[in-house]
Amino acid sequence: MLGQGHKMTTLLKYLKLYGAMFKTSLIADVEFRANFLSRLLSDILWYLAQILTFEVLFTHTQKIGDWNLLQMRVFLGLVFVVDGIYMVILSENMDQFSDKVRKGDLDLLLAKPVNSQFMLSLQKASTAAIGNLAIALIWFIYSIAHLPEFQWVRLLWLLVLIPCGLICLYSVRFMIASTAIIFARSENLQFIWWQIYRLGMRPDSIYVPWLKWILLTALPVGVIASVPARAILEPPQYGLFAWVIFLSVVLIYATNRFWNFALKFYSSASS
Amino acid sequence: MKKSFVVFWKRNLAFAKLAIVSNLEYRLNYFVDAVLQPTLTTGIEFLLWFAVFRGAQATEIAGFTREYYLSYALWAAFFARICTSWMYETRMIAEIDTGTINGLLTRPMSFYEYYFSQLMGYKFITTVVSITIPLMAIFLFKLPTKLERLPLAFALEFYYLILVHSISFIIASSAFYLNKVYSFTNAKNLVLWLLTGELLPLDLIPEPYRHIVISMPFSAGVFTPVGYLTGRLEITAIWESFISVTIGIVAVNCIGVLIWKQGLKAYAGTGA
Repeated sequence: MLGQGHKMTTLLKYLKLYGAMFKTSLIADVEFRANFLSRLLSDILWYLAQILTFEVLFTHTQKIGDWNLLQMRVFLGLVFVVDGIYMVILSENMDQFSDKVRKGDLDLLLAKPVNSQFMLSLQKASTAAIGNLAIALIWFIYSIAHLPEFQWVRLLWLLVLIPCGLICLYSVRFMIASTAIIFARSENLQFIWWQIYRLGMRPDSIYVPWLKWILLTALPVGVIASVPARAILEPPQYGLFAWVIFLSVVLIYATNRFWNFALKFYSSASS
Repeated sequence: MKKSFVVFWKRNLAFAKLAIVSNLEYRLNYFVDAVLQPTLTTGIEFLLWFAVFRGAQATEIAGFTREYYLSYALWAAFFARICTSWMYETRMIAEIDTGTINGLLTRPMSFYEYYFSQLMGYKFITTVVSITIPLMAIFLFKLPTKLERLPLAFALEFYYLILVHSISFIIASSAFYLNKVYSFTNAKNLVLWLLTGELLPLDLIPEPYRHIVISMPFSAGVFTPVGYLTGRLEITAIWESFISVTIGIVAVNCIGVLIWKQGLKAYAGTGA
């Protein structure tokens, strides 16, 4: 009972800490309003590029992979929403990871009386991307509203599958970023990460079976948007959903182990 | 006149060599940048086209077989890699933003040519290194490519780079007036991503948008050279592209000179 109380206190402490860090990020971001607008514009262009590609392709075919145009719009909506959440909460922290190691900022984070993985992963929220998330949500709602005979209750699956997908995404990204401590120059691995991430931005049904299997297991970018999209577009695949939940638990545990392993190689700012 | 041209040529050749040497310094980084990334991109695009043809249950789309689209995706990734400017544009902005441009302004050369020659040097070495990938792939997968058309396709591509650099010059010059212009690079490259034809052959776009997009000079970045190379377009399209790029270069440079001159007048020499 006492242990549970302690856990709750710790959880509350971290929630309050995240709230404070989010507020600080917001204050810093609103200082540069032009940056907010240009980020919004850039991402609208990125969304447009994705939408137009599939809209044009569907003028020449009825189906791509397992889905038709209306279903593909829903998939893209989910890609944008998940990507928006990732951008707001995690992207800036992950992108600056190797800089923090190189410039010695990690020393300061390690000295703080909080979990270093928590600080490194969530210290800076990219509040400028909230606008993007709003646009992504509008597109997603628009796309599901146009689905014939859509069962709205299926959206409940997203409450589980989107967080699990994000955890998988975070875990792989974090482990790749952590290699910045082990290797002197790990920029190449970060570049390769973006190519892997791109695989998750396309529906998994376009891939050959072995690649699809890899994207649902070893490099789980397939669970980011394809699995949540399946949950709302197709009859429930309970085995697949259970696998995604299991995978997210395993991966979040693995990140912590990997982080502690990587820290053994850290020799301060000269690392 | 003749002597001044020789000096100009030698100077710019030196800038180009500087770009080649500095990029090859970190060979692994360069390999990832020039070889691995476009290879992975092509792989992803291949998978999409396989799925499109499977879904369409047709042997042809808009009059071309799957192999033509695979060939297009292959060469599009290669040409797109050449016609995009991230690195040098960012450096140009940083020079103005931080004030290190002062050192360049005192030298007997222009800011424009200093970076233009470096960009050309970098693109030249990238072309030489990364062309091995599409060449191997077309022989391996027997993809349709008219190799005799390669020189003219490259001529258009490198001519188009003048336009690309001129746009970079405008964006960099706007750093004299605005903070955070780095994000303009991102927005500009996304627009060009759409308009060059990297994502898909521009002639698949329905009319009237198809005509508008193809008529713009940006189609010279990917669609026209790749279309010509893969047999989708004939030589007339190349000449038309040369004309539209020329118009683009003149128009963009007129704006660029204006922004640059005004910017220099406003510049206090301590960084923008």
